[in-house]
Amino acid sequence: MAITEASGGIISSLKLSRRNTLIKWAPLLVLVVLIAFFSLIEPRFFSVRNFARIFTAASPSLMVAVGVTFIIIMGSIDLSMEGTISVCAVSFAFCFMALGGTLASWAWLSLPFALVIGAIMGALNGLIHVKLKIPSFMASLAMGFVGTGLAMVMTGGDRIRIEDEFFRGLLTERILNFPLMVYVAVLFLLVAWVIQSYTILGRNFYAVGGGEELAIASGVDVDRVRIMGFMLAGIFFSVGALLAVGRIGIAETATGNNFMFLSITAVVVGGTALWGGIGGVWNTLVGVLVVFVIGNGMVVIGLPGYTQDGVLGLLVIIAVILSTDRKSISFVK
Amino acid sequence: MATATMTVQSLKPYFPWITLVILVSVVGLLNPAFLKPNSLIVLIADIVPLFIMALGMTFAIYIGGIDLSVQQIANFVTVIATVFLLQFGIFVAVLCIITGFVIGAISGWITTKQYVPSFVATLAMGFIALSLARFLSGERALSMNAEARDATFGWIFERTVGVPNELIIAATLLLLVWFLQNHTTFGRALKAVGAGELAAVASGLNVDRIKILAFALSGTMAAVAGLMFSAKLSGGDANLANGFLILAIVAVLVGGTPLTGGVGGMMNTLAGTLIVVVIRSAMIYLEINAIMQQMVFGVILIVAIALTIDRSKIRIVK
Repeated sequence: MAITEASGGIISSLKLSRRNTLIKWAPLLVLVVLIAFFSLIEPRFFSVRNFARIFTAASPSLMVAVGVTFIIIMGSIDLSMEGTISVCAVSFAFCFMALGGTLASWAWLSLPFALVIGAIMGALNGLIHVKLKIPSFMASLAMGFVGTGLAMVMTGGDRIRIEDEFFRGLLTERILNFPLMVYVAVLFLLVAWVIQSYTILGRNFYAVGGGEELAIASGVDVDRVRIMGFMLAGIFFSVGALLAVGRIGIAETATGNNFMFLSITAVVVGGTALWGGIGGVWNTLVGVLVVFVIGNGMVVIGLPGYTQDGVLGLLVIIAVILSTDRKSISFVK
Repeated sequence: MATATMTVQSLKPYFPWITLVILVSVVGLLNPAFLKPNSLIVLIADIVPLFIMALGMTFAIYIGGIDLSVQQIANFVTVIATVFLLQFGIFVAVLCIITGFVIGAISGWITTKQYVPSFVATLAMGFIALSLARFLSGERALSMNAEARDATFGWIFERTVGVPNELIIAATLLLLVWFLQNHTTFGRALKAVGAGELAAVASGLNVDRIKILAFALSGTMAAVAGLMFSAKLSGGDANLANGFLILAIVAVLVGGTPLTGGVGGMMNTLAGTLIVVVIRSAMIYLEINAIMQQMVFGVILIVAIALTIDRSKIRIVK
């Protein structure tokens, strides 16, 4: 009896690890297939110039997606990014203009200032979710509405142009054909990877996502981990906001538009399961690239822009279905 | 002490209505013109599409889910109504309603049969609807043919014995869904699913079918809302109904149907929608602009959820 149980356990854990291997490598496979597909149809797709375009477009979204990855690893979700990004972008722009309007002056202080604003917005989001015991999707959705409204109040509907050549260097300065902002994004991706893999906080994200009761039993202060997670996400949203402003040169209420669905899709498509505990920032990198290769590829082969929303919608549904272990859940809400 | 809590508990179902009365009195005191019957009727008639959408959303929230696709379904339907009005006449309404039902049913199928959480399933279906709307509209704001619009939908905006027909439509739909909720087996099954899904399964209910139908009804009502909005503005485009989503969720939750489902219902959503109307008109009176209103409603949303949610139902808040 004991033997059957034990072997049953081994078989199921073998199955589990095969499943995990599949989840780990499937997104990368999809990415490679997509690149091959678009390159075959339109050879111009496969060029340094086009890849630079894809990476530049993807950099802000990568930061936002990396931020929300931490939250999804915990099994929660953050839908507040559009509001947070708009508030961070606008706060940055106001501060930047007020302190001299060029990075070569004290205005460089507006960069850390924007990150602090992001951290505050994120922490507030986490506090509302944890302290008021409101499910994160709803708490963050409401906070997103508040953020967009706040950005509107701050700007009164105006756009703020950032024309400083040092700041715009994020886009205009290139190293090996790729703009500076791509390197900034890669740098923050590495920071996120270190946080995820080499800090207690990072481990705790997985502990909470893998099984909250177990995490509590082993002494993790789950509430604190959650709030810290949302705060960290807010900081990454803010980095995304800065890159988005750097790319377009304008900060406005609409700066945050479209980031929510894009980043959630990217995280899920990258193989980080909505149930928590599996995945990480490298998955998210692959997911963001899948999303942007599809977006770019469809334009390059001549499909109209609106097909992208529909394709992403299908993609997110398929990705969630594939990442779900049907035997382990009885129902979802 | 015990009796005090008892009274508070027994009063709880009436909180939305009490809130409404208090709000109306306060706003009425600040601005007596607000209480003129005629201006009140115009104010309420104005919010009928939102009310209908909120009634649909009530189905989804009542079973413990959420439908984030309603705004995009309404957007898509404004385009369908505008594009096909000349071709189909009044039958365009049937096309719109079927569209809403099908999109809602697909969301329901994805969430029940494929175990995708409803907020993701409906969010994704919403983007598919948006994509279709942008395709069908050619990414332009379209206008209805004025003659066909007046002939087909003009009656909606007329009055019968002084009452706007819009209000009569809203009342009829309310009666319909209220009957569905309180006097049919489907309604009781909805309550069972909302109160405790596992128990509902154990008692032999076909829970999947009930949930799929709830999302389909939510989509259907969103489509009706989109159709009325489109007829009202005499046009359609892929962004026409933007801003409805948060108000619809607020209306349901402020009305007292908690995010966890099982209690509340259609009459609560009536109270919730009226509260939204009063708050909105107060903000217009205080000259608070549209997007800032969104901020206020975001805060109200958080407060409403915190006050109504049943925490004994969710062991772990994710």
